[in-house]
Amino acid sequence: MKEVKVFQQMYRDGQVTRREFLSVMGALGLSATAAGGFLASSSALAATPNRGGSVISASNLHGPDDTLDPIVCTSTIDYIRQCTSYNGLIQIWDNMSLHPELAEEWSVNSNATEYTFKLRKGVTFHDGSAFSADDVLWSMNRHLGKDSPSSIKAFFAAVVEWKKIDSHTVKLSLSSPDADMPIKLTQFQAKIVKKDTTDFSKGAGTGPYLVEAFQPGVKSVHVRNPNYWRDTGQHLDAIEITAITDPNARLNALLSGDVDMMTVLSAKSIKKVEETDGVEVMSVPAGLYGGICCLKNTAPGKDDDFVMGLRMIQDREKIVRSFLKGHGQVGNDHPISPAYGADHCNELAQRTYDPDKAKWHLNKSGISSAELFVAPVQGGIEETCLLMQQNLAKIGFDLKLKKVPTDGYWGAVWMKEPLNVVTWNMRPTANAMMSIQFGPGGNWNDTFWNNERMGKLLKMSLAETDPAKRHEMHCEMQTLVHNDAGMVIPYHTNVLDAKSTKVHGFSNVPLGQLGGNGWAEFIWKDA
Amino acid sequence: MSETQKSMNPSRQFDELPDAPPKRKIRLSWAGKIGIAVLVFWAIMVVIGPSIAPYHEAEFLEESLFIVPGSDEKYPDTDFQPPSRIVLLGSDYMGRDTLSRILFGARTTIGISFIATILAYLIGVTLGIAAAVGYRFEYRGFTIIELDTVLSRLNDALLSIPSIMLGLVMIAALGSTIPLLIFLTGIIYAASVFRIARSLGQEVMVSDFVEAARVRGEGLWWIITREILPNVAMPLATDFGLRFVWVILFISALSFLGLGVQPPMSDWGSMVKENLPGLIYGSVAPLIPSLAIATLTISVNMIVDDISAQTGGKLAKRMIS
Amino acid sequence: MIWRALFGRLCISVVTLFVVSVLIFIGTNLLPGDVAQILLGQMATPDSLAALQAKLGMDQAAHVRYFMWLRDVATGDLGFSKAGLGAGNATPIVQIIEPRIFNTLQLTSMVAVIAIPVALFLGLLAAMHPGTRLDRTITFSTLNLISVPDFLVATFLVLVFAVYLGWLPSIAYLRGDETGWGLIRALAMPTLTLMIIVSAQIIRMTRATVLNVMSSPYVEMAILKGVPRRRIILRHALLNAIGPIVNVIALNLAWLVGGVVIVEQIFAYPGLAKLMIDAVLVRDLPLVQACAMIFCASYVVLIFIADMASILSNPRLRYPK
Repeated sequence: MKEVKVFQQMYRDGQVTRREFLSVMGALGLSATAAGGFLASSSALAATPNRGGSVISASNLHGPDDTLDPIVCTSTIDYIRQCTSYNGLIQIWDNMSLHPELAEEWSVNSNATEYTFKLRKGVTFHDGSAFSADDVLWSMNRHLGKDSPSSIKAFFAAVVEWKKIDSHTVKLSLSSPDADMPIKLTQFQAKIVKKDTTDFSKGAGTGPYLVEAFQPGVKSVHVRNPNYWRDTGQHLDAIEITAITDPNARLNALLSGDVDMMTVLSAKSIKKVEETDGVEVMSVPAGLYGGICCLKNTAPGKDDDFVMGLRMIQDREKIVRSFLKGHGQVGNDHPISPAYGADHCNELAQRTYDPDKAKWHLNKSGISSAELFVAPVQGGIEETCLLMQQNLAKIGFDLKLKKVPTDGYWGAVWMKEPLNVVTWNMRPTANAMMSIQFGPGGNWNDTFWNNERMGKLLKMSLAETDPAKRHEMHCEMQTLVHNDAGMVIPYHTNVLDAKSTKVHGFSNVPLGQLGGNGWAEFIWKDA
Repeated sequence: MSETQKSMNPSRQFDELPDAPPKRKIRLSWAGKIGIAVLVFWAIMVVIGPSIAPYHEAEFLEESLFIVPGSDEKYPDTDFQPPSRIVLLGSDYMGRDTLSRILFGARTTIGISFIATILAYLIGVTLGIAAAVGYRFEYRGFTIIELDTVLSRLNDALLSIPSIMLGLVMIAALGSTIPLLIFLTGIIYAASVFRIARSLGQEVMVSDFVEAARVRGEGLWWIITREILPNVAMPLATDFGLRFVWVILFISALSFLGLGVQPPMSDWGSMVKENLPGLIYGSVAPLIPSLAIATLTISVNMIVDDISAQTGGKLAKRMIS
Repeated sequence: MIWRALFGRLCISVVTLFVVSVLIFIGTNLLPGDVAQILLGQMATPDSLAALQAKLGMDQAAHVRYFMWLRDVATGDLGFSKAGLGAGNATPIVQIIEPRIFNTLQLTSMVAVIAIPVALFLGLLAAMHPGTRLDRTITFSTLNLISVPDFLVATFLVLVFAVYLGWLPSIAYLRGDETGWGLIRALAMPTLTLMIIVSAQIIRMTRATVLNVMSSPYVEMAILKGVPRRRIILRHALLNAIGPIVNVIALNLAWLVGGVVIVEQIFAYPGLAKLMIDAVLVRDLPLVQACAMIFCASYVVLIFIADMASILSNPRLRYPK
């Protein structure tokens, strides 16, 4: 097991990242392999985990639609529960590094159109039955087909088929190259369930915790799985997962010790958490952003000068300083924040607050008033819109804000009203983010900006393995979006949560709350 | 006996037409007088508030205003600042001036609640009296529908759904512009006004003097305008005060759930809600709008108490629901 | 006479329930987006949306869905939660609602058991000594409490008792096996908040009603006769005030069943009101309807009890002319 040791060392030194992994797999055609046992947060490696105890986690949203069915899960609380009940083929951990989970190792052909996964043996589901290739096939096929309600269907659009080679080997063939496929398989929706499952409320996967009770919209209780295949985690005896929808109540519950961790800390409350003993802020820089969509297929967004005016009027520094309390970065009107690592284009000049230029552009567009639909889809977006309204008023532009509720927003307002606000979570790769939002003709091209060059670059960069060339392509894409798309992206916000100082072992994955939601197996609580 | 009870014995002089109720003189206690003073104060603020406010309600205060001389901090916090010479009542969660928002908000809050309550009364009383006098749709002498039955069932239905749910669904469905907010709040509260007006009206309808009027051959319209309305006016006016307060609280509850007045306009209820995170820092931002609501509520109720103590009757019974 | 009234009420209740179900259906259908759209959220595609809509029967016309629901309910079948079905856990609505009803009743009864006697006592106390400092204190503080938005009361109590003093839990998080002291501790905060809101109203009404009766001729007669004050209040006034007081209590109880959205939200208490809000947010129509039916039924029952109480306590109503 020399490879594992080397891997472990590299990992501790922070050397192994997603990018290296890709080059290892894609360019050299090697298979990645490692055994379980090193998967703990680098920040926590020094301490010895305490075994026992239980935690209560409070998310921000839940309801009758809470689910343990991987393919339809859409909210933080669902993601957390997926990670207690199930495993995926591959998992993502600190510094966006990839690790084998149910797939012991995987390999890819030279043009990234065929993947072979060797599955782990001796893994059992909670009901005692053995895990095999059939379960993988069944689970993955649920994302395919016209009738699939999967929320990550688009990631698997290029899948030709999943094929069983033997009881513990499966092969995936793609119609077009995709070097990012292993990363896509780390999504919560791609967790592996038992073949022919009909009742998902039992959560009977292969995961580290068994579902003891599950009441949608109330809470769920999970206890340690005694027959788990990996023996390094599972420090807690039990985990309770609930939500407290009111942000102040959630904070108060944490401060008074009634819950051990909470998701979505409001920037206004950071100071309080910082000055209180026994609790701490978790702030992870991410690609998460709030922005304004100007539909390019209709007025006023189709006027380039109008959109440019809105970009110029953003007082980005002030937004980050006073609304995000410094827990974020100024945006540059494209979604790829520095958190995307090498794919972020730092050569592109930062756009700054310039009311004179904004006035010039708006005058040129001949538009003097507009209506923007605002829903509190993300902390900071309402404040941003109000500030924008005030700054626009100073240069004689009348922006009306129409506040609408968040529920129903994605179906009724987003991609429908000419001007609306949007938030996008960070995606695992820059390419995934760009193609989902700016791929020409895509389902979620929410500014209806169809750029041919953009489409070409997306395809080319996915197959490109030379880091320098790739970076160049990404820079060109970011510049295109920065100047031509209908998006105004004034800020990227950190993923903000808070926890008791007694709980340790979270990763730093910026793809979701509380270190990417996958903490259940790995955290522990001081006695 | 207390002072209030003494003043309750009116001298029975009929110096008016016999069919009109005796003129009531209301003497206010000191509490009532303070109430009137506060109401007058807010009424003036509704008119001149925005013009005497130090800043605009939507204005984010510049960070430079808060720089402490001698300090090298270029960008001090502007949110949840304590009262000072720059912001007399402190600043809110986005760094806006609380005093200005209270002054601007007076117009929105009192305006919306007042018009909505009036609307509730117009609808509630009209329908309530119509139901009480037993209006029915007839066809060739057969009663097709009794107005009372139809309205009462509809009214039961409206009342039995918690008003906050009703408001949530209706406003989320139709949008939260100010006219709609007023209209929907008016409808929701018309249900309880209807209940009161109807029962008051029914009581008057069976009274001896209405029977006498009927025997005299007076028409329905005459009875409604000359007998019923004068007799129900006072209790309804008293109820108006309480209802008005509930409407304010209802709208603030709506803003807790994220519906209500649109930003950047301020209303007191949403000001309490949006500044709640400041409570934990000991900021006065959520308390001041709440205090403003309280002054309004308490003064209205002080006056109501005075009036109800002196007009007698079964007033209290009608103020429920 | 009571049996006849009971039967009459039953018929009326069925009509009311029907009207409520129609209103709720129309209301929720006006809301933007249907259950499938909400479940899929931002990541909906035309394909997946159509697939889920078909699965949930949302592809049928609205009125067809309503009548299908009505038919099921008429046969005693509340059906499945649409949101649950879409999310891969087919949960019968009965199974969702049952624990919620239990929780709501638990909280309601706890509030009622404490708040009602306390409020009645304080109300009577104020009425017995009108105009005194005691009366003024009680009146003023209840007025104060009525006028503060409930979310401010709740947040304030949490800050004091949970965050700073650490005496009570900040949320009413039930493990499901609490008994005795543990249960009381868990429910303490929401109970305290609701007690404050509910008893303020009952105190005001009790005081007003009793004082009102005190001004009636027969009480004046008793006073002149020299009957002791305490006896007058307890024997004459209170008995006659029962009707309106019971009415207020009934309305407050009805509100406790369905109107305590904000308190349930702040204390993360899994009661019925929060269930309905959650159901509205995901447009889970059968679940919304089920909640509305429960609210409506409890309102009807409580009002019936209140009416019966006032009839039984009042000879004139017991034997109508």
